[in-house]
This record gives sequence, C-alpha cells and structure tokens, in this order.
Amino acid sequence: MMADGSGKEGAGAEPTRAQVDAEQEFDRAIVEGKFDSVDMRKVLDAEGGVMDMDKMWITMGPQHPFSHGLWTLIIQADGEIVTDAIPIVGYLHRGWEKETENRTYPKIIPMADRLCYAASMTYTHLYCMTVEKALDLEIPEKAKYIRIVADEINRLQSHLMWLAAVGTDMGNFTIFLWASREREFWMDMNIRLCGARMTTNYPRIGGVRNDTPDIFDRDIIRCTEHFEKMIWEIIGLIDNSSIYQSRMVGTGIITREQCANLGITGPAARGTGVDFDARRDDPYDNYDKVGFEVPVLTAGDSYARYVVRMEEMLQSCIIIKDAMQKIQALGKNSPYRLKAPSRVPAGRHFGRIEDCRGEAMMYLVSDGTDKPYRLKVRSPIFINVSASKPLVQGCRIADIPVIMAMIDMCLGETDR
Amino acid sequence: MARKSKESKGQPAERGLWSPYWREFGKLDHKCWKDLWIMKPIWVTLKVLWRTTAHRPVTVLYPYEALWEPDNYRGRPGLDFNKCLGCGMCVNMCPCQAIVLVDCPDDGGNTVRRPQINIGRCSFCAYCAEYCPVDAMTVTPDVELAEYTRSDLIWGPRRLAYDKTTEGMKVKLETTLISDFKNGNGERRVEPCRVDHPKLEGKKCISCRKCSKVCPVAAIDMVEHGTNAKGRPILWPEVDDDTCVGCAQCVEACPKDALHIEEVL
Repeated sequence: MMADGSGKEGAGAEPTRAQVDAEQEFDRAIVEGKFDSVDMRKVLDAEGGVMDMDKMWITMGPQHPFSHGLWTLIIQADGEIVTDAIPIVGYLHRGWEKETENRTYPKIIPMADRLCYAASMTYTHLYCMTVEKALDLEIPEKAKYIRIVADEINRLQSHLMWLAAVGTDMGNFTIFLWASREREFWMDMNIRLCGARMTTNYPRIGGVRNDTPDIFDRDIIRCTEHFEKMIWEIIGLIDNSSIYQSRMVGTGIITREQCANLGITGPAARGTGVDFDARRDDPYDNYDKVGFEVPVLTAGDSYARYVVRMEEMLQSCIIIKDAMQKIQALGKNSPYRLKAPSRVPAGRHFGRIEDCRGEAMMYLVSDGTDKPYRLKVRSPIFINVSASKPLVQGCRIADIPVIMAMIDMCLGETDR
Repeated sequence: MARKSKESKGQPAERGLWSPYWREFGKLDHKCWKDLWIMKPIWVTLKVLWRTTAHRPVTVLYPYEALWEPDNYRGRPGLDFNKCLGCGMCVNMCPCQAIVLVDCPDDGGNTVRRPQINIGRCSFCAYCAEYCPVDAMTVTPDVELAEYTRSDLIWGPRRLAYDKTTEGMKVKLETTLISDFKNGNGERRVEPCRVDHPKLEGKKCISCRKCSKVCPVAAIDMVEHGTNAKGRPILWPEVDDDTCVGCAQCVEACPKDALHIEEVL
C-alpha cells in the first residue's frame, strides 16, 4: 500500500496525516527487518490480499496446440503455478445418439466407426456385442478370436498415435515421426484385414465381415515381431533420456481414491494403482482364453501412465500372437459370421468393453422394430476429462500439455 | 509392485510373459542420469540416420509411384453395368443415402435402372458391394477422386465402371444360419439375399400386379386362384425362389402391405 494513497484504497476518502505517518513507519519497520519470518509472511499475505493481480484466468483452447481436438481448458494461474482448472467440452456434438434412432441396426456399424476414428474397431465391436446380447446370439469361436486380433491392432495403432502426440507435446518431433512410421505397419494390417485404414467397418452383428485373408495370416506375425523390435528405438528416445523423463516424473499426480471418486478408467487409472481391466476381470469374447497380463503401477504420475501404455502395447503383441494361433487351429472352414435377424426383440441391454482409452459402455433400448429406440454411449474420455482439475492443480503451465496428453483425449466420442 | 497373482483366476503364473520393457522400466526406479544422460537417444538417432541414408529413399515418392494395396482395399465403388440387376439393394443398405437408382439406356437401347453414386456423400463402407446379390458392385482401389465442382462428384452408372476388376474386389456376403450353427453344420455358407424371400398374406392381396411389375428379375408370376364375387379372376403373386434376390422392392410397392420378407434363420 503506497503512502500517497494510490492503489486499492485510493478510491476512498483522502487519508489523514496521522494515517500516512503510521504507514510510513510501518514500511520503515519492514525495511529495517524488525519482523521475524512468520510475521513477515503475514504482512506480505495481508498486502497481497488487497492486490487483485495475483491470480489470472487463462483460456487454453479450443484452438490450441495442446488440445488434441476441440476442447477448452480454462486454468487459473498463480504466476507459473496452476491453481484451478475448468474443462469445457461440447464443440464437436453431432447428435450421434439421436441419429442412430433413425437407422436400421446394420447401418449403425459405420456410424460407430466415426465415434472415435482411432478406436473404430473397439466401438463397432462394442455396438455389435450389445446388439448380440439383445438378440441372445452366441457368435462362433473364430469370430471371437478375429475380433480380439482386430481390437488389439486397433489398441496398438491408437496407442502409437498417442505416443506421437506425446512426442510433439514434449517438443520432440522425432518421436512423432517414428511412432507414425510404426503405426503405418498396423494400418497396413487393417487394410489387409478389412480394406480400410481407420474407419474399418469390420465387426458385424453375428460375427465379422470377412474371414482373415491369406495375406493377413502371413503378415500379422511378421508385423508383430517387427514392432517388438522397433519400439525399442522409441523407448531409447524417451525412457533413456533424462530430458523427457524429467518432464513426466512427478507431474500430474493423482491418488487412487481420487481416481475411484472421479470414475477414471483405463490406462490412466492403472497408472495410479487401480488394478482393473475389463478384458481380464469381466472377460468378453474369449479374452479369458488368451494369455496376457495387465500392467499396474502405483506411482500415479505421468510417467507411470506412460509406462502402463507402453507395456500395454507389448502385451497386445502377445495377445495377437496367441489369438492368431487359435484362429489358425480352427481352420479356414469354421464359421465366422451368423445371419442375424433384422428385428431385435424389445428389451434393455448393456455392453462394456475395454477401449484403448478406458471403459466404454453402450446401453440399448430396443422396442421390437428394426431400429433402436435409444442407444446411449458411455465414453471413457468424457469421464476422464473431469479429472483435469486434480491432475493439473499445483503443476506448472508448461506441464499441462504433457499431463493432459496422458489422458489421450479424443473428442469424437466425448461429445458424440 | 502391484502385480496381482493370477492363480486365483485359474491361470498358471508363468503364463504372464512380462516383456523386457517391464523388467527394465516397470519398477520406475530407472535412473537415466546414471547412464549416458542424453547420449543414448542421440546414439539411437544417429543409427537411424545412418540406416535411412544408406537405404534411401525410405518413403514412397507418391505422385510418381503409388503404394501397393491388396485387392480388398476399399476405394470408390465400381459397377459392372451389364451384370447389375437394378434391384436397389445398395440403395437400401447405404448408410449415407449416397446412392439413387436412375433410368438410363443399356447397350440394346432399353431403359433400365442403375445406381448413381454421390461420391461426396460416400463413406467408403462397402456395404453396397457387400450386399449386392450378383457381385455387380465391387470395391476398387481408386482413391484419387478430387474434382473441381460438387456436381462432378456424382458418378453415373457408366462412369462407375472399373476395368481391372479382380475376384478379390468382389466382397462376398457369406453367412452361416443360426440353426445350422447350432446343429453342428457350421461349414455351410448361405447368402442372405438367396434365402430370404417375400411371403404373401392372401387375404390382403387385391390382385393389382404391382409386385410383378417392379420385380427386377421377373421372379413373380401372377397365378389365378379362382374368381371373386363379380366373376373376375383373383391373381396371387407366386415367387420363384431360384431367381428371387430378396431385394424387397415388391414389399415396398405393395399398396396393401400383403407382402413381407420372411427371414430364414
């Protein structure tokens, strides 16, 4: 507070001569060091309290390099430290759930691809699984294993896209290029399996679209082995470099209790010690018959979430190899697609799946016609983004891109 | 570590193959600054630099050379004009409503109905090729579809022709009946369009012959079933199961809802 009355209180009445003298004496006492540290802190807090410039609201997004997609994070910054955060989503709302009510059941499969282009296979799988539950349909063994392989290819390419994004968020374009390079091999596997790179339109109600072609059987194992070798180059860039480790270790810490209260699922939860994976704990489509492990870490920082995702990629390779053996043991003549009835009996049915980003669920209300009455999607990212406040509180502004990248935002499924 | 033991799930413990990555980095006590600081990443980058310099070019020089794609690659739809029946199955199945049937002259000068596709609306899902009962609609590896105006994106039936169609481009719709699968006869494949046929509810039929007029494969004969009170013949449609493709055009044309597709499961 200035002695001449400028600042906050300057707007009031003119200070008297006695007040000015008292303040000048107080200022002299501070300069001469007459207060101890505790009192000094109180004095500084009291003086800072009347100034209204210590906290600043900053809007990051929707057009911001850190937001992978259209969403806004409004942060309150105290200098360099983030004290509060408000996520705002909804820029990409397309009315997906309403549009499904005007389409017959098979026509929703290409639409489910567009929920999240990086997780198209898991969302179509989830939709088909929910409708099969409503039809009370047990699909053939071969279709189940093919769906597992397709899901894991999808998980790998989604995680690689996440890795590319993490690279650019940390300012390393080499990681982006190398991860994209490895991702192209999995894209080629998608082309060989179903003919398209991203919007795959592959699972069907009652099975899968086509049997695995010979060219896919030949290349998938080669691709898996190639990937297991080449991922060590990217690991050499991130895990072996103290620059990138120091950006991730100890930032964005979230506890196990916060994780449970906020409903976070997927790799973000497994990095904080929540040992849950729908593939293992609520197995669907023969996931209980292939061998894999679920990586879980208790550290709860960005680096733990990063390690969980990297390990998941390597576990996916193991699942693919195991499931491909089972597919080849079943032979080329075994059925892979059942003829599903076009009308679904009335009822309410619910499906869940372990998506690349968390746990995706669908709730189907059918009324006996060939179109759904209601189809609700539970998107994992819509829930996970609610954790942005506890995640970024206390960190520095420059850490926000890395911390939020560990959630792996996908706005197509969030806003639907 | 928080690794759960798997014995309780009935899985042997050695099934979990922990990868070398987890052994090295999963404990989170990896002290990178004890090794070579950032020398390791630099060394990895230099190796890749040497490899890519020695074996260049590492990418496909796109406008001059194209990527190899397998036969089932889903580019734009292709149409075999003379094979097509004009049954409208692709129109019914298209999730984007990109296809309409248009009248156009065939080789003999007769007017026939053939699909016209708006490529600007197409989502490349290949449902049209999948549900085509005679494999006239195929997928093609043609993806260079940019045009200067939107009207140029509407592809007529003749323009949709693709000259290098192979067997792999014809998407087959092979399904197993649920009854077959339950009886252990799972290796039998059927095409849904060949087993689902229209069924008549005789009471509702008014003998208007609309179904036999719209049938693209002329599978419906009007057969006389006696006379009515005024002495006029009662004609009921009879479907030839071998020629019928199950396109449901008769079902849509019927003014009295007398026909419906009976699904074989």
